[in-house]
Amino acid sequence: MAEGETAAPETLAFDRDEVDHQGDNSAPDSARKDADSRSLNVASAATVSTLALATAACGGGGGNTASGPPIGGTPTPPAPPVLRPSTDAEAARFALRAGLSVTPGDIVELRSDGFEAWLDREMAQPIERTAEQFLSSLGFEQINDDQWFFRSDPADYMIWNQLLTGGNSVRKRIALALSEFFVVSVNNIQIWPSSSIGAYWDILKEGAFGNFRDVLDGVTLDAAMGVFLNTLGNQKADPTTGRVPDENFGREIMQLFSIGLFELNTDGSVRTDGSGDPIETYTNEDVTGIAKVFTGYNYNYSGGIGFTDFTLGSGNTIPIPDAALLRNPMTANPQLQVPNRGDNHSPEEKTFLGTTIPAGTGAEESLRIALDTLFEHPNVGPFFGQQMIQRLVTSNPSPGYIQRVAETFNDNGSGVRGDLRAVFKAILLDDEALAAQSLDDPEFGKLREPILRFAQWGRTFGAASDTGFWLMQNLSERSNRLGQSPLRSPSVFNFFRPGFTPPNSQSAERDLLAPEFQLVNETTAASYVNFMERTIDGRGGWMFDVKATYSAELEIAHDTPALLDRLDLLLTAGQLSQDTRDTIAGALGAQTVTPDSAEEDMLRQIYRAVLLVMVSTDYLVQR
Amino acid sequence: MSGGKTMTNGPSLFNIGKAHELSRRAFLRRSSHLACLGAASGYAMGLAGLSDAAAFETGGGYKALVCVFLLGGNDHANTLIPFDAPNYDRYNTIRGGLPDQGGIALAQSALANQVLVPQVEQTLTDDMQLALAPTMPRLKARFDQGVMAPLLNVGPLIAPLTRAQFESGNTSSFPRPAKLFSHNDQQSTWQSGAPEGSVSGWGGRIGDLAQERNTNSMFTAINATGNAVFLSGDEIQPYGIASEGAIEIRGLDRNVYRSAATSEALRTLLTQGNGHVFGNDYAMANARSIQFSGFINDALANVSLSTDFDAGNSLASQLEVVARLIAARQSIGVQRQVFLVATGGFDNHDGLIGTHEGLLAGVDAALDTFYQAMLEIGTADQVTTFTASDFGRTLASNGDGSDHGWGGHHFVLGGAVNGGRFYGTAPQISVDSDDQVGRGRLLPSTSVDQYSATLAKWLGVTQDEIPIVSPNIANFNAPDLGFMRAPVAE
Repeated sequence: MAEGETAAPETLAFDRDEVDHQGDNSAPDSARKDADSRSLNVASAATVSTLALATAACGGGGGNTASGPPIGGTPTPPAPPVLRPSTDAEAARFALRAGLSVTPGDIVELRSDGFEAWLDREMAQPIERTAEQFLSSLGFEQINDDQWFFRSDPADYMIWNQLLTGGNSVRKRIALALSEFFVVSVNNIQIWPSSSIGAYWDILKEGAFGNFRDVLDGVTLDAAMGVFLNTLGNQKADPTTGRVPDENFGREIMQLFSIGLFELNTDGSVRTDGSGDPIETYTNEDVTGIAKVFTGYNYNYSGGIGFTDFTLGSGNTIPIPDAALLRNPMTANPQLQVPNRGDNHSPEEKTFLGTTIPAGTGAEESLRIALDTLFEHPNVGPFFGQQMIQRLVTSNPSPGYIQRVAETFNDNGSGVRGDLRAVFKAILLDDEALAAQSLDDPEFGKLREPILRFAQWGRTFGAASDTGFWLMQNLSERSNRLGQSPLRSPSVFNFFRPGFTPPNSQSAERDLLAPEFQLVNETTAASYVNFMERTIDGRGGWMFDVKATYSAELEIAHDTPALLDRLDLLLTAGQLSQDTRDTIAGALGAQTVTPDSAEEDMLRQIYRAVLLVMVSTDYLVQR
Repeated sequence: MSGGKTMTNGPSLFNIGKAHELSRRAFLRRSSHLACLGAASGYAMGLAGLSDAAAFETGGGYKALVCVFLLGGNDHANTLIPFDAPNYDRYNTIRGGLPDQGGIALAQSALANQVLVPQVEQTLTDDMQLALAPTMPRLKARFDQGVMAPLLNVGPLIAPLTRAQFESGNTSSFPRPAKLFSHNDQQSTWQSGAPEGSVSGWGGRIGDLAQERNTNSMFTAINATGNAVFLSGDEIQPYGIASEGAIEIRGLDRNVYRSAATSEALRTLLTQGNGHVFGNDYAMANARSIQFSGFINDALANVSLSTDFDAGNSLASQLEVVARLIAARQSIGVQRQVFLVATGGFDNHDGLIGTHEGLLAGVDAALDTFYQAMLEIGTADQVTTFTASDFGRTLASNGDGSDHGWGGHHFVLGGAVNGGRFYGTAPQISVDSDDQVGRGRLLPSTSVDQYSATLAKWLGVTQDEIPIVSPNIANFNAPDLGFMRAPVAE
């Protein structure tokens, strides 16, 4: 099925509207797929609750286990007891962690098939639309007077299209989490910035359920990363000038992308020496040593990359390389570089983290040894695992939770280290994540980051582009936009740090980490409300091309309890408190909306309800 | 509730203009603080009999500190450049020559008009003459006017440290800041004295002590940039403001989607905690935002400045709102304030030449314009602006940029600055001398604690409370670097 494609699932009663409310006019393939899946739905509905049934029939569809694709291609052994959500809310809670949004169809499937089968199927979905497909098919890789080769706005069109609509919700959610660990920002990229960051996004999406070692390799050699952290053009030492290799990537790959600063136990706790001090994982000498590995790299012109002469407004004519250049992994082979600058890879001995690469070792072999050394370091499992738990489930996982995830990283059960599919399953299916009692724990969960709120809004209410180009903006601005925009982190340290605690807060009193709060202050708290108000009704200038349809909600706009049931389930996984619900119901009750009201009146009632839910703390805290 | 964790609903709110009962709280705070400093601080141990006499210095009218943070680690070596022939030649060689020779040195000829000639007899290391970057003519003029002073080779230290001690690796006998050379950790260390995760910065700790001077203590620390630990104290929480002023939630003052009831519900929901720690903390942020924004904007509405801040310069825009807040200080009800502004892009591993000069030009213009505005408002002697950054960088070139270092050079600007001369010790132009730890990463000869202590003292933190702001100050001989003039009674 194409989960989330028609992000506003229709009710049974209004099948006739569905064609008008297709989400993504610019993605005919996925739209077709979704339409095809419609014949499959409701099959498993007998086991699910009235609410899900009432709202699910035509939305996500495709949820019949019997007709679903086989997992893993081998005959199914006698099934162990299947863990299923016992309520719609529980199902929604799971789907909202694993993916960017939840549809009534997801809820039907989850309740029928269980958590793991649903997750397996989501993870097995083929990639529906790549960044490359988006950019090339819409003309953003053409060399013409629009000068796309200098522009980064198509990167925003691309990524908001990816997040606000379309299938692969789970894969995209994981890729987004990875993009906040292996951080690259489009802000710094000069030539073909959109194609560069698009290639990077495609690596993360492709690698989301692959192996960590392959992702590490992909991000290291990616040209956008090469520009961002200066591997591109990094040269071996020159004793005559005193030049030494650039240390930037060598430092950050250790500090941020693999092992972190301190030695960790498998449960994420910091290892200490005899005097109780944390044991640092590396010294500056290790940085200097590993920096030599990342020398000699530059753009890779293999695969028939051509140039087109382009005359700028200044009258200067410059050769513009094909955008496909940015999808080639960087190379240290001077034969593949333009111009051939000779071998710039350091021939020196490279020593770091107790590993020594002998003098004279070539670039490819040095890289293999370096990345293997990092990958095999015992820190990677707990370091990466803890941050992924924070992104998806809770800011303060227990040591046991981290340990279970790290152990899965270390060995997926079949002797494979770094199996990301297994790691993310371990995170999402862990007892600590699924337990109902954590709903009552005032410390469990996380603040939804602004990107997730906006993406969830778009997918839930059927955001669609009038032009098909998804003419969205960089929404980073803090005082009158969202204050966060995907793939546009202000630095390699991400939008927020995993160890952040807001000072002078209840979180601080309790020694809780609350990373997403690094984005919260008096300015952004206010601008979020203003942003959502203008987003929901489409009047914000940033929404001129992308609007939500609210097709399913229009059918129940007159029925406040039904409307709140739906929003509560799809936005907060049933976590609206009675207080909040009463407040919203009271506000909605002040207007009279009937099934015969004008559509604009019904829409306004929906806007009111959506805004009030999405600014409530019940929504903002995902638990 | 599980595990005995319980939570009450809702944030407690604040009252603008309400008289504060700060004295007793301040006393308790000081007592506990100084007790916590413990045996490590002989400076504090000498202060038996702490009493109310330790209250914040009461003289003077309005005073403020403005921290300008250069995010990414400023390349100090291309900010203050040796000009005299021997030192310039060393610099040029270590930096790989001029850009057209593949290096990152600035041309000596471009520095001729930028040489900083001290107004007092002053001999720097190796008879060095230092010039400001060619794109900083306005700070050069302020130096010449005696209101700007460079502080040389300052950085985080626990105690004075030699290269041999550093390289011994004996961290118990020769402590040094944790996680050196790491951006996020050294930003935090500059701001708070500890790596990432720290929850109290020295700007905030000054604010804790200074707040009793303010009718509206919630505006003691104001942040015009992204969240940072610098302005968080034990009690003080920075108030965040945008360049255009306080952001108000539009839907609270008018109908929302044509519904007055929705507007009312919005107000209720925004400030309603939900029994979850994060929900309560978020509701608190909303409550602060709602409660303060109208008050601040009303105060700003009466301000009109003729000084022209460049709207295209983000740092200048942040400093503009700071200037406007200072102009409105009486309506806001404050006498002592600490501000934070920041600008990024300084992590120039690549493309140092060109990029960095442009960044410095922006800093030059923004700081100078801000000083002009202070002259216009009549607070030039009462407001001191100073720079900080993650770290300095390597003197050695990595091809077309420089890598993470430690100590660096900084600037202090204001009418109360004893400017027109250098402070601190100029580092040798070298990649193997003992005042660096390799590749020209400077071993700081002046500590951030001395920098903060000097500024805190000027703002009115009393001598015996300096260790609250600058906990390592007892380890250094000179707790006052002397770059601030003694306060003049009004």
